[in-house]
Amino acid sequence: MTTATGTAGSPLHILILDDEPIVCKRLKPAFQKMGYEVETFTDSASALARLHETTFDIVITDLKMEGADGMQVLTGAKESSGTTHVIVITGFATLDTAKESYRKGAFDFVAKPFKLRDILDCVKRIEEKRRDEQAPDAPLTV
Amino acid sequence: MRHGLKHLLAFWRPSTESLPFTVLFKKFQSILERNNRILELMADMGDKLGGEYVFDGHYIEEVSETLGDLVFKLISDYSILNQHQNADLFLAFERIRLAIGEELSGQHILTTGEPVLLLAQLGHELSELAGTKMANLGDIRNRLELSTPGGFVITTRSFFDFLQHNDLLDKARPAAQYWHDQDEEALKQLADEMQHSILTATLPRRLSVRIFAAFDALAERRQLKDLRVAMRSSAWGEDGSSSFAGQYQSVLNVSRDQLIDAYRQVVASAYSFEAWHYRLYKGFHENETAMAVGCQVMVKGLVSGVIHTYAPHLAAGAMLASAVWGLCAPVVKGINATDNIVLSRTPPYPLISLAIADKPKQLILAPSGGTAWEDLPEALHQAPSMTSEQMEQLAKAAMSIERYYKRPQEIEWTFDPGGTLQILQTRPLRSQGEPFAPKQLISDATRRAEIVFSGKGFIAQRGIAVGKVFLVENDVDLAAFPHGAILLSRYTSPRYSAVMHKAQGILTDVGSPTGHMATLSREYRVPTIVNTEIATSQLATGDEITLDATQNIVYRGNIGALDHFELTEEEVFEDSYEYRLLRRLLKFISPLNLLDPQGDGFQPTACRTYHDITRFIHEKAVEELISLSEQRGAQYLSAPKRLTTTLPIGLMLIDGGGGTTCAPESRTATPEQIVSLPLRKLLDGMGSLGMWCTEPVAVDLGSFMSSFTRTFSASMASPAEIGRNLVVVLDHYMNINMRLGYHFTIIDAYISEAINDNYIYFRFLGGVTELIRRSRRAAFIAKVLEQFDFRVEIHGDLVVGRLKKLSLPRMAQRMRMVGGLVGYTRQLDARMHTDKDVNHHAEIFLKAMQSVIGE
Repeated sequence: MTTATGTAGSPLHILILDDEPIVCKRLKPAFQKMGYEVETFTDSASALARLHETTFDIVITDLKMEGADGMQVLTGAKESSGTTHVIVITGFATLDTAKESYRKGAFDFVAKPFKLRDILDCVKRIEEKRRDEQAPDAPLTV
Repeated sequence: MRHGLKHLLAFWRPSTESLPFTVLFKKFQSILERNNRILELMADMGDKLGGEYVFDGHYIEEVSETLGDLVFKLISDYSILNQHQNADLFLAFERIRLAIGEELSGQHILTTGEPVLLLAQLGHELSELAGTKMANLGDIRNRLELSTPGGFVITTRSFFDFLQHNDLLDKARPAAQYWHDQDEEALKQLADEMQHSILTATLPRRLSVRIFAAFDALAERRQLKDLRVAMRSSAWGEDGSSSFAGQYQSVLNVSRDQLIDAYRQVVASAYSFEAWHYRLYKGFHENETAMAVGCQVMVKGLVSGVIHTYAPHLAAGAMLASAVWGLCAPVVKGINATDNIVLSRTPPYPLISLAIADKPKQLILAPSGGTAWEDLPEALHQAPSMTSEQMEQLAKAAMSIERYYKRPQEIEWTFDPGGTLQILQTRPLRSQGEPFAPKQLISDATRRAEIVFSGKGFIAQRGIAVGKVFLVENDVDLAAFPHGAILLSRYTSPRYSAVMHKAQGILTDVGSPTGHMATLSREYRVPTIVNTEIATSQLATGDEITLDATQNIVYRGNIGALDHFELTEEEVFEDSYEYRLLRRLLKFISPLNLLDPQGDGFQPTACRTYHDITRFIHEKAVEELISLSEQRGAQYLSAPKRLTTTLPIGLMLIDGGGGTTCAPESRTATPEQIVSLPLRKLLDGMGSLGMWCTEPVAVDLGSFMSSFTRTFSASMASPAEIGRNLVVVLDHYMNINMRLGYHFTIIDAYISEAINDNYIYFRFLGGVTELIRRSRRAAFIAKVLEQFDFRVEIHGDLVVGRLKKLSLPRMAQRMRMVGGLVGYTRQLDARMHTDKDVNHHAEIFLKAMQSVIGE
């Protein structure tokens, strides 16, 4: 099993935002079991506030929500830290929203419902990418 | 309502002008497409219950709407095809859609459902009616095969009838405002008034009649002249994710003439200040209050107590039983010293420690009703109240219940005078004061562990299982399956349901997450991974493993930390609102009640689910297309023709153009007159194996099959029984709908020189034979189709195979194979005795096919 580590060898720090509590409830323990540190939010205002306070390695956000939507959270997360990777999850997946997410710098776009394994794999890919980037001979691109 | 809808549907009145056949055939094809889409969506919804997917409320709403939309359009298509209003179908649809809408909107006042239900009928799917506690007992009795005192439940529907009859529901409404204003005095006063009103209220006569009738029937079943029952609260949410322990009242040892008073007492306890306060504190809304009341035969317990299935504070991997002589109540109330018995959670559940208390008295049933204390003989004061056999029996039951609910449990139990362990109730065990233990760093534990394999196969039911592997290869193994083991097998089989109540987990090499066994795993909530390909080659009986069917990993050894993590997770998926909602919705969607097209019940008015409507329309659409072309076909194209063939398949053929060389007015067609390539090849294949003959045939297979073709009931083979089957052909195209016995096969194919247009769509839906054989048959068909490059999906009984874009000769070969397959499967159920027959038949069939198609 791979070790879940962030920048300084500490566990990867993940923020999950979905206005449907069931999604947070399902994802949180799954990531905790992998050794990640997880914080969950069901409203975008508190999630954005938290993003201003601290840096997360990964942000997993729903798209369609009351108040600030997922695109705004995506932008906010990228602004607060260039190294944050964002995964967009949505039950309203369209080609346009997918394109827009990628253009705004999302790492991946996952349509709901999804298999738990798919999102875990997605996070693992981010982890590997980060490891590669941190290796001394890796190119310094994002 | 009915009138209004009929008016609304008036535009469906048949027009005098009939539509061209091509239009009608397009409608027919559209019916088939929608039919498939509906069956697939239904299967998808079922899969979501397995826990492999993360889904939310939006998904449930969307999929329900899509499904409703498809069914509505299906009826509309059918209305064009049969040129009738089909008001009964639309009304059936409307009833189902309304029920689904009510579930989705969370409307909670139950005005339908039985006022009284027997315990033998209960399970968690009835928790709305029976209340959580009694629904749990239903699961324990009917699913986990443990004993609970027999009886019935006066449902929440009766609760609403009772309160509405006395205008008491409105009386309770101000509570929320008092809570909001933090006016505890007002709430207290309201609680007193509510209770007083309930205790003095009259029951609707029809309700008291039903309650007495249920009581008398119970007395008669038990042959008890003076039946006494325990009346137990079973409220919404009680013993669910909030335990409500001790909030509501139970009344013990109730006689017939005390019955109604006791019922009122239990109902009134829903409005005690403490219970009401607890509900408001927990965030329950007033419309989420409903009290069902369980009435169970009073058990004269000889030894009783409570077991906590998880007690890590006492010893690692321990559970704790507290026991006394006599009835259970003193243990629950904590008013007496108890024998404290610490047992291991690992089979065979050995005793870790035993502390015997001084027990000078026991609580017994008083002859006049209620309970009384009785002095015990001195010899019993210091004697252990349980034997080691009883401890083991209790431990097994406790672990089965915990495994089912995926939470440490607090279980009340008693041993009756006959020595049977009776489960009185179970609820989630709350950690006392603080969490069971700080969350251990789980990744440390898993990182150190040896992974046997990971990411193999599909999760059919999520969860964590720790235990020793037990390989099941045959019925003898199955009979010997030990309690608490993990079942390992090459194949999936619904027969494993026989041991699911005692299995920790299930691992198989082959199988589908949408097959029958997967459905059963979900029913029993046994963590299950199927289709790992390699499980039996990597593991053997006796190996201790940790099966993580949440991440799809199998570890060697006991990873206690994972188990601990799972047991202390905040919420169990199966307890989530979304899970329960999806389950409830599926009741209006999936079950098939219209099984026999020849039966009297095959009526639009009998449709209770979307599946029923879908099945009904498919069956009738085929008939309709035949009769339409019979009546009017000649106006537009050739008349329907009966295919003259020795195959007893009752096939009616409609030529849409260039499909035959028959004269348009001809009423028969011979196989030689068929031009349509797909049909020619199909018939070739059907005839090739000689399976329709009653005489032995030259092919090897013939001798194998003939033994049962001879014994096969002649009526099954007669066209009258089969009904009329339909094929529509063009020169390169064929669409065939065949019901043979209870199997339903659809084949839609286009085969020409244009490779890119070529396809074969094969769909098989099994019939009413027993589940096990059906699932073997589905497995057999899938195996054969895959061998011939079909992309195959299995959803329960439904097998769908798709093949595209092969060259004409290869397509033709495969059509012959499909013909053979249809013939072969027609009588296959009778031969599917064991799971090994699946492979055996596949081998025989494939070998026979080699000679037929030369591949």
